[in-house]
Amino acid sequence: MTDEKSLEGWAPEIPDAATLAEVVDRAFDYRGDVTVMLDDGRELVGYLFNRTRDVAEPFVQMFERENAGPSRVPYARIRAIRFTGRDTAAGNSYAAWLRSREAAKAASSSPGA
Amino acid sequence: MSVPLSQMWTVATYVLGQKLRGHTRYPLVLMLEPLFRCNLACAGCGKIQYPGHVLRKHLTVEQCLAAVEECGAPMVSIPGGEPLMYPEIGPLVKALVARRKYVYLCTNAILLKEKLQAGLFTPSKYLSFSVHMDGLREEHDEAVCRDGVFDQAVEGIKEALRRGFRVTTNTTLFDNASPIRMQMFFDEMMDLGVEGMMLSPGYSYSKAPDQEHFLRRQKTNELFAKMLANPKKRWKFNQSPLFLQFLMGKQDFECTPWGNPTYNLFGWQRPCYLLQEGYATTFKELMQTTRWEEYGRKSGNEKCQDCMVHCGHEPTAVNHTFSSWRGFRDTVAATVTGRL
Repeated sequence: MTDEKSLEGWAPEIPDAATLAEVVDRAFDYRGDVTVMLDDGRELVGYLFNRTRDVAEPFVQMFERENAGPSRVPYARIRAIRFTGRDTAAGNSYAAWLRSREAAKAASSSPGA
Repeated sequence: MSVPLSQMWTVATYVLGQKLRGHTRYPLVLMLEPLFRCNLACAGCGKIQYPGHVLRKHLTVEQCLAAVEECGAPMVSIPGGEPLMYPEIGPLVKALVARRKYVYLCTNAILLKEKLQAGLFTPSKYLSFSVHMDGLREEHDEAVCRDGVFDQAVEGIKEALRRGFRVTTNTTLFDNASPIRMQMFFDEMMDLGVEGMMLSPGYSYSKAPDQEHFLRRQKTNELFAKMLANPKKRWKFNQSPLFLQFLMGKQDFECTPWGNPTYNLFGWQRPCYLLQEGYATTFKELMQTTRWEEYGRKSGNEKCQDCMVHCGHEPTAVNHTFSSWRGFRDTVAATVTGRL
């Protein structure tokens, strides 16, 4: 993992299209579920796996948690994106594994083990 | 080198056919990822960090076969995730073999013995189990973050060989690799009886837990030059000798990101197996709308500067073989003499 802080829990304001594009990019890079709030008040919860910007009507694609999917949502319908799911890429499992292995070795070599 | 003649012939005629038709961009190996789920969580892997509901999903056999047809590559590599956890892996492999695709099923082999005993697969020249082995027992178990996996993989290899399957190994090297230990590993794999070994430096996935041990370009050259300086005749490598020379610093190749296109749950991955910058719905869309000039070392893209991974550079090596007499001569010489 990089040292960059996880975006888990982030709920950015989206005042304009430029900010929306940036937040969508962050959501695309995020390895957890997000909640996408639409212009009709609906909320889609799921994994945002793609965004296509260079077309007449930019859109994102998601696997919703409760549907087989994938679903497609135009940028124009998005009012907010919240980073609500656990960031599955966060943490340092390699270091954690090394620590647990060292601990296991120490335990097995201690008297009475 | 250990690639069977029939496979060499298939690849050679395919590449020459592409060249005769004037195609400058063509796929060589389809990287087909039917699922992201895995029974390991290796420190250097950035492929499996997804929410549970995504990990529980997988492609259908029909989706996989449609991608294979659309792509047209003569070889199909099935990584993942762990493909032996894919519930339809037997029917998928059977269908690919029936289409005369050379299949490399890339597995950590934890489930291999069990699946073989269940009769899921039939030996074929088109099917090779490519077993993930990152070195001798100590190095491998450390790389996969679990003790005992090396021994399980060896058991799986032995069972597959006993049943007459083709078995190769695939090894990812990081900056803590020891040339001498790797040479011992080559001996051990040859003693086991594997057909050939595939080597590659790792890629620094931004989502991988371990970011400290990825090789930089110069270190890659030094490691491979030491490791392969005097290759034993008995060491067989299941890959282009020119690619190995590239890793040793004896060849200078650019990346061919479209050479090993990747298809998975999300679609056709842009631009390559390693970087995830978006997905195309069709293979044609991937090829036509990806800004290929933005990738590879010469592009200046910082994500590509230290990358020497097989999926981008082995297609370049293969293309080089068929692009000039020198390339052809170098490949033949290395293949015949075993010298790199």
